[in-house]
Amino acid sequence: MIKHLIAGVKRGLRLHRPSRSLLIFPDDVFLVSFPKSGNTWTRFLLANLIYPEQPATFANLHRLIPDPEGTTKRDFDRMPRPRIIKSHDCFDPRYPRVIYVVRDPRDVVLSQYHYHRKLKKIADDSPIETFVTRFLAGETCAHGSWGQHVVTWLATRQEESRFLLLRYEDMITDTALEMAKIVKFLGITASSEQIAQAVERSSAGRMRKLEQAQTDQCDLTKNSRKDLRFVRAAGSGGWKSELPPAMAEKIEAAWGPLMRYLGYELSSQSSSSLGDYESLGILGSATR
Amino acid sequence: MIYGAKQVIRYLLGNDIAGRSLAVYPDDTFIVSYPRSGNTWTRFLIANLIHPEQAVTFANIEELIPDCEAQSSRYLKRVPRPRVIKSHEYFDHRYRRVVYIVRDPRDVVLSYYDFQRKYRQIQDGYPLAQYVRDFVGGNIGSADWGTWGENVGSWIGTRLGKTGFLLLRYEDMMAEPERALVKIAALFGIETETQLLATVVERSSAQRMRDLERSQGGEWVSTKNKRQDIPFIRSASPGGWKTQLPEVSVAEIESAWGPLMTRLGYGLITTPGDGSARTQTGGEETVYKPSNSGLR
Repeated sequence: MIKHLIAGVKRGLRLHRPSRSLLIFPDDVFLVSFPKSGNTWTRFLLANLIYPEQPATFANLHRLIPDPEGTTKRDFDRMPRPRIIKSHDCFDPRYPRVIYVVRDPRDVVLSQYHYHRKLKKIADDSPIETFVTRFLAGETCAHGSWGQHVVTWLATRQEESRFLLLRYEDMITDTALEMAKIVKFLGITASSEQIAQAVERSSAGRMRKLEQAQTDQCDLTKNSRKDLRFVRAAGSGGWKSELPPAMAEKIEAAWGPLMRYLGYELSSQSSSSLGDYESLGILGSATR
Repeated sequence: MIYGAKQVIRYLLGNDIAGRSLAVYPDDTFIVSYPRSGNTWTRFLIANLIHPEQAVTFANIEELIPDCEAQSSRYLKRVPRPRVIKSHEYFDHRYRRVVYIVRDPRDVVLSYYDFQRKYRQIQDGYPLAQYVRDFVGGNIGSADWGTWGENVGSWIGTRLGKTGFLLLRYEDMMAEPERALVKIAALFGIETETQLLATVVERSSAQRMRDLERSQGGEWVSTKNKRQDIPFIRSASPGGWKTQLPEVSVAEIESAWGPLMTRLGYGLITTPGDGSARTQTGGEETVYKPSNSGLR
């Protein structure tokens, strides 16, 4: 009851997080990904691209690219439109336009493992094997499993002009090229200098420095271990050296066809067909 | 502001409609479908199957298999477990056991058209061809469920072939309801006898449901205060689109969802397109204004 009352007062003052009750406008763009797939980096890139007058930091990020789970209703009400909004949700039909960032699940699981250590959800010596099992079952976060998350978006929106699929790995390899896709998708104009500046202001080095200075001013890092970083390796393929081969195989056994479809090479022998995804015709006709 | 205060009070009292904020338990089973795809009939079948001691009516269906989009959070919390819950939600990873009913979208749109007239959401003379365009483009005021292709695709893409997921085609259920019941019984892990199955089908027949709607339609949460001259229980027969749906509309539906329809066994009669009938955006330039709040 007390909890409900506090929640009620917060709502009255518009200090609550809107979550699903967020009022969505037709000109909203959502930046969506499964957790630990480069969402925060992309948020920095976007913020630095569309609001060049103020470099993005961990302290102002939630007001530049707001998060319905982290930004207050009051801050949302003050946002100018059009807005770009961060989300980790599975398919939501209300999202009018979506930039979806996907990352190799073998790297995602490692990133999530380290993040859970940072959040003190698991101990340092917690076996990765147990974590992978829980990860595959979708028990390591509140957004379903990686495979479910990706499929709900691809099965519903892929091949539509209001959906932009980006691979984290491509963004690492050629950030400017992927940024150009974003610019086109948003329908804005940006020179290559402006893109370069946004990339520079969102570099892993700068983000690490900001994280160190602002760790207590950001929901993502507040109340977590300070000896572990939120901005980690910022690379791709770490799984090849860090993830036990048997664990990589387990992930590939679960989502092999989907991973191959996304261009993630498998380390193990797996069925060569795309299985259900192909026959469903919901992941597009062309295979890469 | 008044609306906001009302919401706050509703939330405090637990009187908010459960919907997507429903507290899900691991032993819940969900009957999920896009609206107008045979969900109510399946609800009757399943309720009659697991509660054979009483015949299901519109007066007790909400107790036996509550509708999470019509009942409050508090109501659903009080339903004895294990619960069976009716839902139209697109994919929700918390739903562990799901009976998903799919129906030919060319029939769904016709049924939805009548339903929205019954609910006074569209006028009687609303052009059907325009309605189909709204239906395909996701503009029929059903943002909560997504479009037919989104709702079906989100479930099939994630769960088909997985344990705890039973896909039923409405058309197959119409043709052989007993066979569908055997599959449902297997999902619930209950024994079935031929005699019971016959009773269940009989108690869930379209004729009986129509009679019940006539006598109880004024009380049931889904038909209360709606137009009484248009029935909720319609023809209950597949393939009506072949005579009632304009060919251009058939083409639009098949163009949007052709591959998914084919996969589900709904043969196409026009050349499948590239999905271009779905919402397309773009064109003019967008300008993002400086975020003042961010400067503070």
